[in-house]
Amino acid sequence: MDFFTSETFQTVLAALNSGFLKTLELFFITLLGALPLGLVISFGSMSRFLPLRWVTRTVVWIIRGTPLVLQIIALFYVPGMQKWFNWPSGESGRMIAVCVAFVINYSCYFSEIYRGGIQGVPKGQQEAGLVLGMTKRQIFFQITLLQMIKRIVPPMSNEIITLVKDTSLARVIALQEVIWMGESFMKGNHGIAGLTWPLFFTAVYYLIFSGIVTVLLSRLEKKLAFFQ
Amino acid sequence: MNKKLLSLALAGALGLSLTACGGTASTPSTNPSSAPSGAQESAAPSENQESDLQYVKDKGTLVVGITNFEPMDYQDADGNWIGFDADMAKAFAESLGVTAEFVEINWDYKVMELDAKNIDCVWNGMTINDEVKAAMSVSNPYCLNAQVLVVPADKAEDFDSVDALEGLTVAVESGSAGEDAAQALGLSTVPVQKQADTLMEVAAGTSDAAVIDLLMAGAMIGEGTSYADLTYTLNLNEAQGLESEEYGVGFRAGSDLTEAYNDFWAGCVADGSALETATTYGVQESVILE
Repeated sequence: MDFFTSETFQTVLAALNSGFLKTLELFFITLLGALPLGLVISFGSMSRFLPLRWVTRTVVWIIRGTPLVLQIIALFYVPGMQKWFNWPSGESGRMIAVCVAFVINYSCYFSEIYRGGIQGVPKGQQEAGLVLGMTKRQIFFQITLLQMIKRIVPPMSNEIITLVKDTSLARVIALQEVIWMGESFMKGNHGIAGLTWPLFFTAVYYLIFSGIVTVLLSRLEKKLAFFQ
Repeated sequence: MNKKLLSLALAGALGLSLTACGGTASTPSTNPSSAPSGAQESAAPSENQESDLQYVKDKGTLVVGITNFEPMDYQDADGNWIGFDADMAKAFAESLGVTAEFVEINWDYKVMELDAKNIDCVWNGMTINDEVKAAMSVSNPYCLNAQVLVVPADKAEDFDSVDALEGLTVAVESGSAGEDAAQALGLSTVPVQKQADTLMEVAAGTSDAAVIDLLMAGAMIGEGTSYADLTYTLNLNEAQGLESEEYGVGFRAGSDLTEAYNDFWAGCVADGSALETATTYGVQESVILE
């Protein structure tokens, strides 16, 4: 019990909390950016205009076919080394670069889930819409979209829980998320050095957060179960 | 069949052209060190002729790349960066009329951080070696360092001389001066990512010993740490009769900041402020005052 009230524990906890706030910031920005962008990309990959479809699918192939950690490193360092532009200095620049890399990467994964969801809606549904004299836009928003959302919740949940843990890749360019903070006490931080437990303790944060996300997503799944 | 091949080729060509002009998003497979294209090459020399010193003065901040490394760069209770290196960096920035901004970096990417202008200098107890000198403009040495052997305390007496080390498996930081020292002794090494990780190897028994910086060993092992059972025995530099290692400040290759720093440091040695700051952080034995 003494341990949990000790100054060391409080210091470590404060550092891990500040790290986890960064983790959360990255998580939510990625979701906010990648959910809509993924839908746009999925339209591109289903387009009947062949060149657009090829370009989109090539981009998706490149992004899904290379490690996210490599994309983060390239996105952060290559522009400055090639003198294209510089990211804002300090920690904010790192956060922005990481967010861009995550949004691009995750929107490509999301786009394939959207595509599967849209193409999985039976063709009869669209034909029914046509018979009723609906426009293509109306058919998409009033018939396909809702059924698509219902279908994609389970694979989306999978991807979103992976995202919770993938945020830890951001430490490769020294974004001080929760694992970075946990590791910092091995080498020394706030006068505390040589501690290994903070690193393993970060698992508690991930478990609690992914638990909450799981509960929320399964509730959403139940809410959308009204078609059965 | 021909049609299929053609469409494949077209798709490939489109993809390539996208990679070429699409910029950031589609460059993950680009090797950062690969040669730039013609346009960039012609732009590069004029950039290099620009004074780095002027660049820093214009932007008003000297961005200092560090890792959390007591007693060189670490945070006080209020989160301010202090330490021997941090205090000297602040004084150097002040002498240029700018403010020092500290950014923690991933040590593996320190050269890329400099080249990409994410930071202006590496000032973090950096051991001067050939790799560092090839990639950066390194200042005159300001501090001495050595590599030490870290072993479990209960086996310490077995490892009191270089001869006792035969057949040992030693954990070292990949690319560190410690790795060089261990390899010079002909030991079989396990390269890991960080000096801190080498200690976990020894504590977990996956390696027999580790070779790390003396300054770091002082802070990271012994009582009050998770490594209370570890100790350091051999100073490898002394044991091998080698010269001590030296710390330097790294600036961008070809930077005129290096000269400005060397002048600044000479001034600090002359007026005693270098020794004074070193004494504050307990590194007065290691600092080079010539």
